[in-house]
Amino acid sequence: MKFWWLAWKDLLLVVRDKKAFLTLILMPLLLIAILGSAFGNIMKENEDITIKKFTLGVVNFDQGQLSKVLTEEVFSKSLSKQIQVKYYQEDDLYKKIKDHKLTVGIVIEKDFTQSLMTGKGTKVKLLSVPDTNINTTIVQTVIEQFSRSVPIEAVVAQMAQPVQAGNPSGIVQKGYGKKPLLKETSIDAKTKLVSSFQYYAAAMSVMFLLMTVVQGVSTMILEKEQDVFQRLLLTNLTYPNYLLGKMLGLIIICLTQAFIIISGTKLLFGVDWGPSIPGIVIMTFAFVVNASGLGVLAGSLINKEQSFNVAGMFGTQIMAALGGSMAPLYVFPDWVVSVTKFLPNGLALQTYLELMSGASLSKILPAVAASMGLGMLFFAIGLIRLSLERRGKYA
Amino acid sequence: MKMLTVQDLRKSFGNLEAVKGVSFTVEKGESFGLLGPNGAGKSTTINMITGLFAPTSGEIRIKNIDVIKYPKQAQKWLGVVPQEIALYQAMSARENLKFWGRMYDLSGNELEKSVDQVLEIIGLTERAKDKIETFSGGMKRRVNIGAAILHRPELLIMDEPTVGIDPQSRNHIIETVKRLNSEGMTIIYTSHYMEEVEYLCERVGIVDHGELIASGTLSELRETIGNHSRIILTIDKETAHVEKITQTLLGIFSKKDIQIQDHQVMVFHKEPQLILSDFIQSMTKTGTKITSVDIVEPNLESVFLHLTGRNLRD
Repeated sequence: MKFWWLAWKDLLLVVRDKKAFLTLILMPLLLIAILGSAFGNIMKENEDITIKKFTLGVVNFDQGQLSKVLTEEVFSKSLSKQIQVKYYQEDDLYKKIKDHKLTVGIVIEKDFTQSLMTGKGTKVKLLSVPDTNINTTIVQTVIEQFSRSVPIEAVVAQMAQPVQAGNPSGIVQKGYGKKPLLKETSIDAKTKLVSSFQYYAAAMSVMFLLMTVVQGVSTMILEKEQDVFQRLLLTNLTYPNYLLGKMLGLIIICLTQAFIIISGTKLLFGVDWGPSIPGIVIMTFAFVVNASGLGVLAGSLINKEQSFNVAGMFGTQIMAALGGSMAPLYVFPDWVVSVTKFLPNGLALQTYLELMSGASLSKILPAVAASMGLGMLFFAIGLIRLSLERRGKYA
Repeated sequence: MKMLTVQDLRKSFGNLEAVKGVSFTVEKGESFGLLGPNGAGKSTTINMITGLFAPTSGEIRIKNIDVIKYPKQAQKWLGVVPQEIALYQAMSARENLKFWGRMYDLSGNELEKSVDQVLEIIGLTERAKDKIETFSGGMKRRVNIGAAILHRPELLIMDEPTVGIDPQSRNHIIETVKRLNSEGMTIIYTSHYMEEVEYLCERVGIVDHGELIASGTLSELRETIGNHSRIILTIDKETAHVEKITQTLLGIFSKKDIQIQDHQVMVFHKEPQLILSDFIQSMTKTGTKITSVDIVEPNLESVFLHLTGRNLRD
């Protein structure tokens, strides 16, 4: 139980340090409010009402000319001020839309040109997220307009060439006035867009929890520099108890801070943390274990507070930037987003966003397990490090 | 019964040999003083005895337990008062004592009782609820001692426990140590204040430049200077001719009984009253102006000076 008393002592010291206490609690709420307001216009759900240029994801299985005309001439050239066309594999396009990296996409089937020319019904899949926005409407309208104009152009083309077979007017008769061209597909109807306020509430929470860990570790290193640490070594306290006590203190402080931030943003700013409260609670715990484990590892490796303050500040900024706390994860390439899952804050933020998008507890369990596992691994390495240090330095 | 055995203890930090083959023993219930100037190697020796530093070589046994092999077992018998204040400033005296008591496995009534007793011993019952940061230096040092005796250790090691405090707190601390020793606690007391060591300790080890240059009871140590008193003439530096003084004094006293330092000339003698007038006359003949005369009874300062040619506080 000695580890508990060590943790209790750390908590008492934090609570009595009014400046640190206010910084831990008030600063995050304040910053979330400021950033949420500042970025509100960029990431609003209904941002597209202003018809900004957007990217249309295209999967083209068709080898014919009409799909090229549609994508290259109509979308890329005629509508170049509104639309940028990007080509994808089908799976990638689904993923992009699912991850809200694209708002709209189309899949052109392989017999598109032939079907259109012969008047057979064909379908272009229109992919979008459930909350249909103006981008989807624009793409839908363009395709429908294109489908109407193709038979006329086809007749003109037929008239300009020798008649090969059949009645050219038949194209018109069999044309698209009768058969729908578009099949609209909603992707993963359970996911929701995450608003700027939601994003930054999660991002700032994660960053502040990271900073709290850094502050806690700084205190741990300061204690190592002072005689209280040596005095602790002379008592019946063992190294596992010492490190466990330090980690427990950090975990309790961080969980308290997380509770205040999450409930504060929910109650004060109406931030929706998603439908899964157990998911948020468990992920928060897992993240705090992960970050605290990394913290005590750093505390066991570094013996000078001054060195840690420089490394800690630098490290936190880099982790915060890579983890998506400064710029939205959406602007990062996919591989960066994948790599940052190895960072405690990166993994936590991405999981929070999933939860905010409607993910269930079971869906985030792998992330919870990874986070807890990493935390325990960091703790074990820290313990080995401290034991080795004692063997080398102390009797 | 031997409480502590230190045998040929050595410690090097890189090329610097801080402790050079120190050996001594401390009996149960004894109070042993380690006396030496700052930087003599006292704290390094103490840190090795407590199990904080691994010695480069040598042997340490507390109640016959090998400290180097089994530090945690040996530490059970130990209470250590560090040189610096090792307390949590934002916590009260009682909270600090309870915390340190818990680190020594005390709990429940036993802990409460022990904390109350210690607060009484260190004379801070009235201030128990006040934070350490509001205490004077002396009061902090008293709590620093209190945190080391909560678990009633058999061997209490105190490293310069009275540095930088007011005389009243110093007296309180010294009387506390005396009381603990009289109740059977073995004490190792390091200091560069020879008055404290003389008052508290039955046996003393004198450390200088990492070596134990003398050890024994106070009377044994005084014997090393033949129980000689010290006549100290303070002189006017401008009128002093060191060579002339040396030659004149060597005509009267043996070389080992003379010390000349900066603005003081000292002579060790068993019966100082008998030679005082000759000493003053011979000094006057050299043209040296004498500003004051002191006769100091044989003490540890004199022993240290005699052995090293330096004052303890140099």
